[in-house]
Amino acid sequence: MATTTATLTLSSTDLLSDALSVSATQTLYKAGTTTGLDGIQYEKLEVAAGTQYDIVDATAAGANKANKVYVANKHTDETKYVDVFVAALNIGRLYAGDWMFIPLEAAAATQDVSVTAITTAQVVEFALIHEGKTLVAS
Amino acid sequence: MATTTATITLASSDIADNALSISNTMTMTTAGTTTGITETTGLARKKVASASLADLITVANTDVTAASSAKVYIKNTSTSTDKYGLIGIGDSSGTPIYLGRLYGGDWMLFPWDANSGEDITLTMSDTTETVIEYMVFFE
Repeated sequence: MATTTATLTLSSTDLLSDALSVSATQTLYKAGTTTGLDGIQYEKLEVAAGTQYDIVDATAAGANKANKVYVANKHTDETKYVDVFVAALNIGRLYAGDWMFIPLEAAAATQDVSVTAITTAQVVEFALIHEGKTLVAS
Repeated sequence: MATTTATITLASSDIADNALSISNTMTMTTAGTTTGITETTGLARKKVASASLADLITVANTDVTAASSAKVYIKNTSTSTDKYGLIGIGDSSGTPIYLGRLYGGDWMLFPWDANSGEDITLTMSDTTETVIEYMVFFE
């Protein structure tokens, strides 16, 4: 089994009257176990503007698991963003420099993670850390 | 303006032949600008002892500007790796879109479009009392 950790540090000295400092570390386990996730897909690609593209496919082997998805918008113009979708729902915008990290339920084949680059093509980096995915026969 | 940063480090020495090391820091800004976000719910803690679908964060109870640059942090503070909270977005009286499961110790951070009816929902895997922490950054 593999050991993979995800650590978050949230900090600000001036958002609140007192300093904000939140730190969290999780070990990425298979669903309901203490066995580490052992599959990974890690890519970086340019997303053309205007069309919604799947970046992580929901597959039967990944349904109702503890898989994790990381997405980052690597664009550098702060006025540009990509819309991120889970299934047909636009969950939010990743502006240039933003990232997100979520567990992926993928209960149905329609619950892919997809992105639409707004206004201009943008480079997106993403990773799926998983305990299995259904391969597509050639 | 405030400067608020979120850094993620994803690391593994054995998930592949070569080590995985992803590190990324974002500065939370208002939509389309370099101006720092200045509003937050603060860090909240909620005890949940029900396995029924319910709202964790409602759009109506925050001042989040929809279709903007809000971010949401949620953590399951339990240590039970066999119990989870299923996080969704939508109306708890309907059928939300489920994002995924936060097992004990898991956290997530994601952008929130926060249009009307796009509340953040929680369904625990059982009735074991569990503390969920959450925080919203918004404009």
